[in-house]
Amino acid sequence: MNKFLSGGVMLTVKPEELRGRANIISDGGRHALTAMFGRDETNNGGGYAVFAVFENPEKHAFDTVKAVFDPEGELSYPSLTKIIPGAVWYEREINDMFGIVPEGHPDLRSLVLHESFPEGYHPLRKSVSKTQQVRGQREFPIAAAKGEGLFQVPVGPIHAGIIEPGHFRFSQAGESMLQLDAKLFFTHRGIEKSMEGMNPQRALPMAERVCGACSIANTWSFCQAVEKICGVKVPKRAEIIRTLLSEIERITNHVGDIGNIPAGVGFQPAISLGARLKEALMRLQERIAGNRFLRGMIVPGGVAMDITPELAQDILTLIDKTENGVNDMAVLFAQQENFQNRINTTGVVRLQTAKDLAMVGVGARASGYAHDSRKDFDYGVYSSLDFKVRTQTSGDVAARLKQRFDELEESFAMVRQLTEMLKENGGELIAPVEYKAGEAYGISESARGSNLWYVALDEAGAIDRVFIRSASYPNWPALTIAVQGDIIPDFPLINKSFELCYACIDR
Amino acid sequence: MDFVLMSVGTNLLQGLLLLILAPLFGGIINKVKARMQKRQGASVFQEYFDLWKWWRKPSILTPYTGKVFVLAPIIYFVTAFMAAMMVPGLLKTGFSYGDAFIFVYIMALGRFFLTLSSMDAATAFGGMGGSREIYISVLVEPAVMLAILINSLRYGSTTLANMVIDYNSFYFTVPAVLTAFAFFLVIVAENGRLPVDNPDTHLELTMIEECMTLEYSGRLLTFIHLGTMLKLLVFLVLFGSLYLPIDIPVLLKALMGAVLIGVVETLNNKMRLFKVRIFLSAAVLLLAVAVIAQ
Repeated sequence: MNKFLSGGVMLTVKPEELRGRANIISDGGRHALTAMFGRDETNNGGGYAVFAVFENPEKHAFDTVKAVFDPEGELSYPSLTKIIPGAVWYEREINDMFGIVPEGHPDLRSLVLHESFPEGYHPLRKSVSKTQQVRGQREFPIAAAKGEGLFQVPVGPIHAGIIEPGHFRFSQAGESMLQLDAKLFFTHRGIEKSMEGMNPQRALPMAERVCGACSIANTWSFCQAVEKICGVKVPKRAEIIRTLLSEIERITNHVGDIGNIPAGVGFQPAISLGARLKEALMRLQERIAGNRFLRGMIVPGGVAMDITPELAQDILTLIDKTENGVNDMAVLFAQQENFQNRINTTGVVRLQTAKDLAMVGVGARASGYAHDSRKDFDYGVYSSLDFKVRTQTSGDVAARLKQRFDELEESFAMVRQLTEMLKENGGELIAPVEYKAGEAYGISESARGSNLWYVALDEAGAIDRVFIRSASYPNWPALTIAVQGDIIPDFPLINKSFELCYACIDR
Repeated sequence: MDFVLMSVGTNLLQGLLLLILAPLFGGIINKVKARMQKRQGASVFQEYFDLWKWWRKPSILTPYTGKVFVLAPIIYFVTAFMAAMMVPGLLKTGFSYGDAFIFVYIMALGRFFLTLSSMDAATAFGGMGGSREIYISVLVEPAVMLAILINSLRYGSTTLANMVIDYNSFYFTVPAVLTAFAFFLVIVAENGRLPVDNPDTHLELTMIEECMTLEYSGRLLTFIHLGTMLKLLVFLVLFGSLYLPIDIPVLLKALMGAVLIGVVETLNNKMRLFKVRIFLSAAVLLLAVAVIAQ
């Protein structure tokens, strides 16, 4: 069993102690806040709870502080945001979903529940039924700068391209962006709520569909958590295949993202090349899994299908081709002086900002924040693979682009190592799983950063609470900071360099 | 009298000819771009279908707009059409009333009204587009004036018809080459092509001309698009007849210009908005050198 799933500290405290304890557990903020979430334990004789999860890379573990609230008592605790800025969105979400108020939060507006929801409606409480329909009215103020000569530009939620819905409000001084507020969660699907009461097997297809781009990462995190609860040892070959799928998913995403960044500046040849390379990878994914998003491969206990030697050979062939294409793309970018001019010094996220907001993935590493769950947490077969966590320093669009190229280099090498490992390790693909009560975390590194899942099963083996924190969640607030001081025509470019996912947070 | 009528008729004919051809040139540019990007691309006649589609649809007007919103597209189109009637070198017998200064400021009139309309609906995008358009037009104007000045210095007239390259006396000179190059940069900037503006973008935040016309739909949009296409063709014809020193029919030269635009748009990405002034400074500088060398 992986160490990180069991090694951490779990502290249960009173609400008023949460902030103090969190400060100690996080080592004065040195250990990043991975997530904060609420849970309603009233059905199991408990109260409401707020979890603050910190990662402890030295121990490869999560340290948790859990504050327990009496449902009849006062539902408030001292806000963590002032000492740990990364808590800002989590606390707003808990306030929406559970009605647990962080006292002293600097910006306690609604986050998830838009103006069409009634006041006092907290959908993740057990007392709210899954099928309840509500309609009402509440405040949903949008942050905007005011002053002489300033104006606002509203963009979305419906955009000119075919993308997911999100409303952006720019506060402008001429072409310069002073402030950006994002109103997201337009298509919140209530997946966490819907999964409650489901057997993990039944919930699996939903886990795969939280996000199209990081289907493997989400499913893997979910399965890790379930396997940890049930004490299952995943066969070695299954772990190798999972790791291989994860890297293929990363390559597909990075290639697609690299090809999409030039779309922000209308650099057509690069867009076309990127689209072609991505399509070939999507077709490879279809060959592997029978669908273009690698769904149905990872299941609790192992993997559902094997990767045959012929398929492994085809994967290698395509990886070679993709590597050539990616190198062509790098040359294309390097030669285009005008493109370099656009991406350098645009949309800077400083290292301190990345640390404060506990950013993850490409966004964090491009700012020099070496933070990669493949190294920080020992899962899959990453510990036996030879790879480095690459970082950049400048934190601009160019850095995030370069970061993807660097990570691709590592991933290509990893796929080659993994196909070798597949030859040497035969045997079982799946271990039997018997569901039982318990709670655990699962984490895996998607193309955009770490995807954390918290799963709690009840006595019957059904899901009591699941919390999904995909990689985009902690990076969204960083986008609004990265744009400050740049001009509004640079926004599409900056946005594409982060390539944040709406579906991941609309869970 | 008959002569004048005939001349006006010829000019009208020329305007109509260019009007009919304009969408084809737009289609050709798109086709060149698509083929260079290894795509099949839409048919070169696609622009006609699009225009027909918009023509059949009603225009939706917000209650907050005034008369200028309805008038502006028509004025914009009419100014482009007037310019098309004036442009020299196409039909030799035309009535030569086309003064270069009138030509430039008729174009400016169209742009002025389009900018007005962009602010009429009071949307944030329209205002941004209008401000960007004015910023660029301020930079384009000196370049256009210098380019015209060079030919009027050489031929001793500001009448467009007299400024057409005379192949009997033409020989390659440094100013001629510089002017041709600089005028091409002007076409790119004036007509909202890459790297200054991206004509087929969906990114509403980066656009210039599309930003101004976001509120338009249906028939009014047809006028704007047709006007824009016509304006591009007029500039290409002007480029051919005044500056491109190759002795072939003017329309062929315009076609060469269109293909060149397709190539340039494929090889370039959009530049930073505030870098446009450097791009146009380069054009002005080249033209200034050309004037001195004249």
